[in-house]
Amino acid sequence: MELFRLEHKKLWRKASVRVCVLLCFAYVVIFGGVLSYQWFEFGSTNDVTSAFGNNFDGPAMIRSYQAQAASYGEYLTDEVLQQMVRDIQADNARGVYWENKSCRSLVNSCLSQLYPELEDPDSAYPILMEYYVDSGGLTGLYARRQAAVEEFLHLQGQGAGEEGAMLLAMNEKVEEPFPMGWTGGWQNLLGGALPDMGMIMALFLAIVLSPTFSGEWHSNTAPLLLTMDRGWRHLALAKVLSGLAFAAELFGLLAVGGVAAQLVYLGTDGWDMPIQTIKLLAVAPMNMLQAEIYEYAFTLLGVIGFAGVVLLLSAQVKSNVLALLLSLAVAYGPMMIAQYLPYGLQKALDLLPLVGSSADIFRTNTFHIFGKYIWSPYLLIIVPVLIGLVCIPFAIMKWSRRQRA
Amino acid sequence: MELSIDRLTKHYGKKIAVDCVSATLTPGVYGLLGANGAGKTTLMRMLCAILEPTSGEVRLDGKEIAAMGENYRDVLGYLPQDFGFYPTYTAAEFLSYIATLKGLPRDMAQRRIRELLGTVGLLGAAKKKLRTFSGGMKQRVGIAQALLNDPQVLILDEPTAGLDPKERVHLRNLLADYAGERIVILSTHIVSDVEAIADQVLVMKNGRFLLRGTVPELVRQANGKVWELTVPAAQARAWESRFTVANFRHEGEGDYVVLRIVSDERPAEQAVPCRATMEDLYLYHFGEEA
Repeated sequence: MELFRLEHKKLWRKASVRVCVLLCFAYVVIFGGVLSYQWFEFGSTNDVTSAFGNNFDGPAMIRSYQAQAASYGEYLTDEVLQQMVRDIQADNARGVYWENKSCRSLVNSCLSQLYPELEDPDSAYPILMEYYVDSGGLTGLYARRQAAVEEFLHLQGQGAGEEGAMLLAMNEKVEEPFPMGWTGGWQNLLGGALPDMGMIMALFLAIVLSPTFSGEWHSNTAPLLLTMDRGWRHLALAKVLSGLAFAAELFGLLAVGGVAAQLVYLGTDGWDMPIQTIKLLAVAPMNMLQAEIYEYAFTLLGVIGFAGVVLLLSAQVKSNVLALLLSLAVAYGPMMIAQYLPYGLQKALDLLPLVGSSADIFRTNTFHIFGKYIWSPYLLIIVPVLIGLVCIPFAIMKWSRRQRA
Repeated sequence: MELSIDRLTKHYGKKIAVDCVSATLTPGVYGLLGANGAGKTTLMRMLCAILEPTSGEVRLDGKEIAAMGENYRDVLGYLPQDFGFYPTYTAAEFLSYIATLKGLPRDMAQRRIRELLGTVGLLGAAKKKLRTFSGGMKQRVGIAQALLNDPQVLILDEPTAGLDPKERVHLRNLLADYAGERIVILSTHIVSDVEAIADQVLVMKNGRFLLRGTVPELVRQANGKVWELTVPAAQARAWESRFTVANFRHEGEGDYVVLRIVSDERPAEQAVPCRATMEDLYLYHFGEEA
């Protein structure tokens, strides 16, 4: 325990570690959270050519979007959809513009996916159906959604057999009607900020953790450490634990900052809405809060797994630069080469730590293993951390044997 | 206690770093002398069980040290050559870290750290970060860490490197005091350190023990091979190119120099024999490399 404490202290004392933590916090929490809510994501549009030209009035805009959604009642029904379309068209006639980040995106999504036959190809902007469809024809919202899900699975080649049955069974558990609320904030969080968090963390974790073992050779301390009673396995274990603790602490710092910013700017409004209000054809029976918990858990387990891999790589080589390059290659290499690989291999690479995406909860991807179909988010959250944990004993053994060759 | 080295060999590819050396070491101070690349550091690393020999073995009281594992590391203290520090640690924190690695209980470690910082003259700098230390101060911290567990086998690779003359004398006295019933092995190419402290000297060349014995025994081997010769200053360089010159000093107004020459043969009729030292012996064997 004392050794772990000292190793942990040594890690945090490095200037490079503190700079990395600061940069990571600034990028994820300040830019991706605070400034995003306040300014370039939810600030009212002032300059359509750049989000940075937005006004600094995010909180006021968010409150107005939330109030607008709340004014339509508790649940999303045919009547609510019709009323929203009527309001959009009336406001449009008066020259009032509904921004994409308001309820308009939900309306547009419902119309384009569930009422495609109402699209007017002769319209100046066919895809902006909310401006011209007859609201009276917008009926049978949930029956149409069910049909659309079945058709989507069919087109994906997932409609029949065990796989289709599994996905449709999941879809049956989605509670209807959907609670009504503003989805823009959740969409930004669950569809962008959280899935990106792991990718950013990978860069900083690689910089901080790749010298854990190789750095002892770089700084010429390894020959000394290896003559100590506890310089072999105890030290390696302490290094591994402090590396994992650092990964968890960095995650904790970002998660606490992110949630705090979320609560301040978005509040808790809409936590019980199903994720289908963001993506209509998702089949997972999850609400926003559950999805957020999943995505944070996905990132935490991913960074733990990634830390394990980086520590193994660090124990394998004596060069800090090589350890860093290998670590970055593990995280970003698969992303770069994925498009050139067969689909099956792409999916296999997704199982590497921080390579797959937590946004798979919005998708219907599955893995077919030993004759069983498994919904991809289950494996994507478990396998990366298992890979990392498997790496740990090898890292410890490698450190212990490194000098004796 | 007996540390026996039995036909110890280490190859790096085709290069032979240590070539079948054998010795039996009992308590006392051993000076390992040799030019750079003679194999001293490789031998020391094998004696520390952190480098696996290509063949041969090292035994402590009959037990193979690699097999002893932690039991050997318990009784070992090691100061590597040019070893690194953690710049953000203070001296006390660094020693505390090493004490933990050596498995010392916390209270005992803190007591021992204070004691050793006093011994190496760094008590006042205990709370200063290592990055602010001079080379000599770092070396003294290194020596303190090697002594933390009161080792029975103490191996010091170039311990006097970076120390000023006063610090060197202090270290030599410290090691002489410390040795007692322990085995202390120090490698250096500073001959005067070995001369002052070592009970036994092992001279290494090309991975082998070239000479071994006490300082007087070894110095005797150089007697009759050291000469003093007075020549005009203008000829000094010419003599230096023909013989191994241990020293030269100006005489009178500077027109003449007195050369100290190490040579099997009398270099000139007027050369007079003089008393040999360890440095002369070293130059006799390593003159071409020095």
